[in-house]
Amino acid sequence: MNYPFLDIPVIGSGWMIGIIAIIHVLISHFAVGGGIFLVFAEHKAIQEDRRDWFPRLQAFSKFFMILTGVYGAMTGVGIWFAIGLANPEGTSALIHNFVFGWAIEWVFFLVELSLASAYYYTWKRVSDKDHLRLGYAYAIASLGTLVIINGILTFKLTPGAWLAIAGSGQEAHYFFSAFFNAGYFPALGLRTLVCISLAGVWSLIFFSRLDGEKDGVVKTSMVRWAAKWFLPAFFLMPVFGAWYYFTIPLDQRELLLLGVGTAGQGLFTHVTRMALIVTLASATIGVVVFLFAWMSPKNFGFGNALLVLLLAALATASGESMREYLRKPFIVKGYLYSNGTRVADVAKRNQEGYLAHTPWLVKGFGQDSTTLSKFEAGKRMFQGQCMSCHTVDGYRSMRRLLKDRDNKGIANILGMLHDYKPDSPYRKFMPPLVGKPEEIDALRFYLNHMINGDKAAKVP
Amino acid sequence: MPEKLYNWLDERLGLSAIKELATHKQVPDHKHSIWYYWGGLCLFFFSVMVLTGILLLMYYTPGEGAYDSVRNINTHVKFGWLIRSIHSWSANLMLFSAFVHMFSTFFMKAYRAPREFLWWTGMGLISLAMVFGFSGYLLPLDDLAYFATKVGLGIPATVPVIGPIISDLARGGAEIGPITVQRFFALHVWVLPSLFIPLLGLHLYLVQKHGMSIPPSEQAKPVAQRKTIPFFPNFAVKDLAVWLIAANVLALLACVFPWDLGPAADALKPAPADIHPEWYFMSSFQILKIFGNWFPGALGEFLGLAVFNLGVFLWVLVPFFDPNTRSGAWGRRVTWYGYLVVLVTIVTTIWAYAALPAAH
Repeated sequence: MNYPFLDIPVIGSGWMIGIIAIIHVLISHFAVGGGIFLVFAEHKAIQEDRRDWFPRLQAFSKFFMILTGVYGAMTGVGIWFAIGLANPEGTSALIHNFVFGWAIEWVFFLVELSLASAYYYTWKRVSDKDHLRLGYAYAIASLGTLVIINGILTFKLTPGAWLAIAGSGQEAHYFFSAFFNAGYFPALGLRTLVCISLAGVWSLIFFSRLDGEKDGVVKTSMVRWAAKWFLPAFFLMPVFGAWYYFTIPLDQRELLLLGVGTAGQGLFTHVTRMALIVTLASATIGVVVFLFAWMSPKNFGFGNALLVLLLAALATASGESMREYLRKPFIVKGYLYSNGTRVADVAKRNQEGYLAHTPWLVKGFGQDSTTLSKFEAGKRMFQGQCMSCHTVDGYRSMRRLLKDRDNKGIANILGMLHDYKPDSPYRKFMPPLVGKPEEIDALRFYLNHMINGDKAAKVP
Repeated sequence: MPEKLYNWLDERLGLSAIKELATHKQVPDHKHSIWYYWGGLCLFFFSVMVLTGILLLMYYTPGEGAYDSVRNINTHVKFGWLIRSIHSWSANLMLFSAFVHMFSTFFMKAYRAPREFLWWTGMGLISLAMVFGFSGYLLPLDDLAYFATKVGLGIPATVPVIGPIISDLARGGAEIGPITVQRFFALHVWVLPSLFIPLLGLHLYLVQKHGMSIPPSEQAKPVAQRKTIPFFPNFAVKDLAVWLIAANVLALLACVFPWDLGPAADALKPAPADIHPEWYFMSSFQILKIFGNWFPGALGEFLGLAVFNLGVFLWVLVPFFDPNTRSGAWGRRVTWYGYLVVLVTIVTTIWAYAALPAAH
């Protein structure tokens, strides 16, 4: 690996990205759906002459501007920092491939942020028609950000024909092939539905604060209108979900099916667990919104709205987690493994050594790999190849996973990971372990010390 | 046709009266209304436990074959692991909801006249629920269950005279073994439900009779300013929505953290270093340990039990100290006592977990 290593104890670097990403997804998708919601609501209010909606929509657009402009933007930049630190190889691959895509994305961001402010500050200052125009311009710009980012996100699982020229230096010439990959359109459909639902979620949060006693009529009309925004997702999610499913590469689909087939015995995979939760939580949101908001809009309180948000967070977090896990053991399917090793480099690393190609892990400390003690070399191997997914004591803890294994047991597992035979069960979700035999042995030595402590001291 | 059917049933079952009651029943609506859902949540989790408990009964064998039958449920019976996980998570979530329900009714002063019996039946239910948890924990007869029960049954044994008798009676002998499992099973599926269900019925009847109590802050308002919503459909649909969310939480926990089964219990093996009871016993476990450290020997154990039981005794008798809105200084003292109990419970629970030796 060509970059410094970042150690996040207990939760691991994956969850560091995950926590920021869950918050970001909940807000950024609202930035898209909320833009459409606001301008449609304003349009409806003008058409039906619902003047009582205007002050509420104005206040809502302020909430929208602050939430998306501050927290959405901050967490968005936060993801950039986090992925750059935790997965520099993957980030580098995406930047090199989609440099123009990112540039367009940032232009859309700037336009989006400017228009959100313009929309809020021009309430009652420009004509209804001009204000609506600003609203529609915002909605289009924010949709633009989704259209771009969706191409880059889906590319990671279904890079398709791009793989043929990967590593040739010609990657950017195949921009459109990579961008409009097999998963692009169904994922765009799914994400758009999520955006529309999240517009419903956040508007319910806001409208729940209206006084049902004093403003019963307006609260009823606004809460019920917001509740309708869940309908498209409730009915169309399964259609787009099925379409997306058939674009998933067979190996990855197998991971999901393996889980379904073994669910009866409780052996089902993480992906299947997440799929189950997404399905359950998404269906529940529809029913809960109907019971809470549609049935008694006047009494729809902030606590009720928070529960809807909780369910939305559960569905979103599981959905994104499922998308990430489906790609295992890759960051970019067929090109880059989840620990930053390129598929094409495996043979080279095995021959020349892993540590020889990790200047920041070894030379960065003023040492040459040959001068490292066996323990230190093992530790660097662990940091470079294991810690992008595992921690010592926390999430996917090595101590827990290797518990009860002696020196030989640890060596066997490492051997299987290194050999990476076609029938190895680990191939489904773990990258190969690369390096020269003495490096693999150093890792074995280090892990044995970690797991078996003093008992390991006697083993060379 | 539906109308005809309704009329036919109405004549025989008196449906109109129930409908009328449900429509006229009002539920207070104020900023503390969120606490009204916790009793319903307990009921939901209890219903889930009854259902999943019956399903587990189809395959579970008490006594000698207990461990093997649970292993069979976990690995061979289709979705057996799921039913068992839901049962166990439900138990934990029910106790959690019951604690929230108890503390929220305490601070809302819902034990005041005329609701004393609601408080006492609630106390009875939460105690029985804890015994349910304790007895159910042993049933798989794995390593952890065995040693945790051993520690648990050692506690009453410290009470002079009757203590050892109670422990021996529960164990069915000097050591925990298949007979103990058989007894705990009888307790878990027959004795406890036959006490719990009638008491629950009485508790629900009293809720219906007295209606939901309103906190002092609401009572201070003139009647005209107090808001209510109809029980049916407004409150009922909200309750239903909360139950749906609870079902999601349950499914999430059961899927992501399925209940584990440790190695079979072996009395000859040393107890694991980090042996401890379930979380809802951790506070009392720690209090006994603290007294044990202060006063080594039987005196410490006895004093620990005495102080703990005194605290519980005062807690149960709270309606006598603070009987109504005119309780004045006593009303405030009781509230402070509540804060103290919450603080001690939280601190001792955290302390107990922090004091556990690491498992590895």
